[in-house]
Amino acid sequence: MLSKYKLSLFCILLASGLNAQQELMLHTLPDLWHAGSVNPAFFPEGKRFAIGLPGYSLDAAHSGDITYNDILRKDGDRTIIDLGNVIGKLEPENEVYFDQRIETFSLGLRSRDDKWALQLGHAIVLSGWVNYPKDLAEVLWNGNAPYVGETLEIGPQTDIFDWQEWNAGISRRLGNFTLGARVKFLTGVSALITEPGRNTMRVYTDPDIYQLTLTTDYAFHSSSIISAIDTAGLGFDFVTSSFGKKASFDNSGVAFDLGIQAKLSERLSVNAAILNLGGVITWEKNANLFSSKNQYTYEGGTFPGTDIINGSDDIDFEDKLDTLNDIFQFQKTSETFQSTLPLRVLAGATYKFSEKWHFGLNAYFQDTNNRTNTAVGVNVRWLPARWLSLGAMYSANSRSSSNLGFHVAVTPGPVQLYLLSDNLLNAFSLKNSPAINLRAGAALAF
Amino acid sequence: MRRQSSCSAFSIPACNKNDFEDTQIADHSAEFAFPLFTTSINMKDLMFKVLHDTLSGDTLLVNPDNTMTLYYTGDVVEKPASDIFEDFTGGLFPLTDTISSSPIDTIDGVTIFRADLTKGRIGMTIFNVTGETLTGKLRIPQMTKDGVEFEYPFVANPLSTFTSPPIDVTGYILQSSSNTLQFVYEAYKPNGDRVKVELSPGIPGIYVAFENLEFSYLEGFWGYQEYALVRDTIEIDINQTDLVGDVKIKNPQVTMRISNSWGFPTRGKIKYLSFIGQNGEEIPLVSTAFTDSTVDFNYPSFAAGEVGQTKYTDIFLDENNSNIADIFNAQPTRLIYEVDGISNALNDPNIIGFLTDSSIISLAMRVELLLEGSAKNFGAEQTLDLNFGDFGDIDTADIESVEFKLVTENGTPIATTLQMYFLDDNDNRIDSLFTGLPRFIMEAAPVNSEGIATGITRTEQFVPMSSERFDRVRASKKAFLKTAFTTAQNGSVPVKLLANNQTTVKHGKMGLTEGLKTRYFEPKRQLPFPTTSNIHQPIKVINPLRHYDRFPYFTF
Repeated sequence: MLSKYKLSLFCILLASGLNAQQELMLHTLPDLWHAGSVNPAFFPEGKRFAIGLPGYSLDAAHSGDITYNDILRKDGDRTIIDLGNVIGKLEPENEVYFDQRIETFSLGLRSRDDKWALQLGHAIVLSGWVNYPKDLAEVLWNGNAPYVGETLEIGPQTDIFDWQEWNAGISRRLGNFTLGARVKFLTGVSALITEPGRNTMRVYTDPDIYQLTLTTDYAFHSSSIISAIDTAGLGFDFVTSSFGKKASFDNSGVAFDLGIQAKLSERLSVNAAILNLGGVITWEKNANLFSSKNQYTYEGGTFPGTDIINGSDDIDFEDKLDTLNDIFQFQKTSETFQSTLPLRVLAGATYKFSEKWHFGLNAYFQDTNNRTNTAVGVNVRWLPARWLSLGAMYSANSRSSSNLGFHVAVTPGPVQLYLLSDNLLNAFSLKNSPAINLRAGAALAF
Repeated sequence: MRRQSSCSAFSIPACNKNDFEDTQIADHSAEFAFPLFTTSINMKDLMFKVLHDTLSGDTLLVNPDNTMTLYYTGDVVEKPASDIFEDFTGGLFPLTDTISSSPIDTIDGVTIFRADLTKGRIGMTIFNVTGETLTGKLRIPQMTKDGVEFEYPFVANPLSTFTSPPIDVTGYILQSSSNTLQFVYEAYKPNGDRVKVELSPGIPGIYVAFENLEFSYLEGFWGYQEYALVRDTIEIDINQTDLVGDVKIKNPQVTMRISNSWGFPTRGKIKYLSFIGQNGEEIPLVSTAFTDSTVDFNYPSFAAGEVGQTKYTDIFLDENNSNIADIFNAQPTRLIYEVDGISNALNDPNIIGFLTDSSIISLAMRVELLLEGSAKNFGAEQTLDLNFGDFGDIDTADIESVEFKLVTENGTPIATTLQMYFLDDNDNRIDSLFTGLPRFIMEAAPVNSEGIATGITRTEQFVPMSSERFDRVRASKKAFLKTAFTTAQNGSVPVKLLANNQTTVKHGKMGLTEGLKTRYFEPKRQLPFPTTSNIHQPIKVINPLRHYDRFPYFTF
């Protein structure tokens, strides 16, 4: 039971590895079709028709220097979860971010007079955030005995949900300005979101005879992830639904993207976008609130002295331990809830020093349920040939002030292939990096 | 139930699905601590249990100040009146004349004025040696039933022996102011001549016999008479558990109670009353409660109309009028006593007494112990059966070590040391609970000048065990238990055991696992160490009060 519980929990924590969300590099490449996903005013210059092939982006990070390989290692065919090397690196509170976006397919069409452009697209998106206390990892790994006399806060917080996005956009060029707007119909797949202000889970092991006091004021919403919590045993089985389920129209919402691109001169252009404006998904399918508010002290079996004196033949611990099941007493209530899409704001400026050398400034801001992150960067882009673009970027964000990004874009004819990252050092060593930022994709633009 | 790692939803690319399809927690040591049990043992409950198991005539009284007094009434020795009635069950009366008188045959010195018969028979035999039929009747004027005197008609054939059938005399009353019965017969020849029936001149020809007489009531005069009342030897089984050490009970009190429903004055004469100490020494009971080793028993008075009543005479012994305290604290092994009875010791000629078939003199001893005293290394040794229950089957492969924590919070003024030796089937010691000497598992609570516990003393003991040792211990089937009890301040002052004295025993466990390939075991059902749940004999065997309760075995 214990190991299974650990496994389940750490899988959540390690879900995609690893923080400091930003999406700067793609915004410096407006001539790539997929750049339209971060600014609806973008449309590859000189192209009238575009087909978006699959594209993938991941932006994930773990606070501190925890990497995938710190926690997981292979032993033959098995994956071994080992927290021995990790616990010492953990902060009192630890966070995991993971934003994943898969562009499945998209189309774009620009009018002959170059004033109007339409776009359609579909994407699968995941946004996740987990905050967990170091105490949780410690008690799960080391047991409670090393912390006798201490109160351990073990309640994690999560804000994880994935959805599918069906979007349609339009842009209009007005002189040197291009304005774009996109509406996105959202269909939620699954969600696991803790109730703000209700993430108390405390464990206290009394030095007396190790009585366990557990205090909870904890609640989370779930849709299509956890359908029940079985406390029939002495631990907790999270009865989960299978992941990868289809989106449901029962979980729906709408979001809007707005963008602007302006050529201030032949050399200088600026752009800005705000994404997921008003984006809210209302979860109705299998939507439940699991709530626990309790305080319970397990003192072991308590037997009347008369039983002891009389030499009772059967002092049964099982009944006593069954009371552990009553500690958390998660109450399941069918209840709809909402999740808010991360609000993103991007802005940039590009100066064409020459046809082959471009320089730029970019800024990024994200607000996810009041968890904000800001990043700024400077970039240089080199176009040694018409079909090749190489670039580098230095950026700083809330987590790190030393991110070196890159991009490679190959655009022979209508083909567009690109690989880019805001963090070069981590892009090719995913399992050894505490943060990952990567995007790759392909498109055809005619 | 479907269970799936949630990472699969977020698996690209940092942790692909395969990474988690066959995951395993790395081997490591983890240490879990949890409570096992808590129990509170109340002194009053404990005492009741001890008494219930060992004594039958016990009463534990909780006094208003929560002190406890143990009362025990030992077995009663009885002298029933039927012992006297046995001397008067019948007799043969030859009728030497037509009116014959005979004293009522009873114990010496007793003159019966009245006797109520509840059972018995009378019969008569006539040896008719004449050639004529004799017709007549027999009367006993002192034997009446419902106011009608006994009368029996007879016809004796010539030259033959007439034998009456047994005549039931139930319900008849014998009354005589002179302890004399008169037998009057009238025998007539066919011609009407009254005759005296003789076998030959001077040899009676009529005999009357009583047999199997039983009385419900005797009334008369009891003269001075000394007779054996009771004599016995009592084994005092105070030392059956090989107790060692020293126990002192403060001011034990013994009340000897004579219950008397014999309706005449009786004086008890103590001929011998001594205790035998542990080393065979004789310890005579010396008391000012006895005058010349005699005690006059109270009795129901015939003159006062107290027939059927019981009168009590209490002889109170304590440290002020006897050496009973010294005797108790010497842990005697035997009591030998002999008591005679003297009726009408004052030789009062005017006292009329009585006996009923339920009259009885009984002698009982009531011990009254205020549970106050001291003990020093008062201990017991005992071999117990062990049963580790489900813990005997635990797979300890993943357990590196365990450590048990035993906590006592003692509100009683008694400290306890304990050592337990685990034995194999051949009674060889294979391990012990503690290393070395017995340890204090329970320190005495502090006491005030009156010997009353004023606080709680907490004692902690840790019992670490490697998995190998745990395996060894749990395989044992017996344990040799050594306990010793010492009252507060090292047994130097008397302490009081109060009904609300309480000891809380708590047990916790810390286990260091060795790898978590399988889940750490959880305690179920049975205690892992010899506690009352798996010791076949209850814990009372190690309680000092159990030994106190043996004192009341001063029984007759």
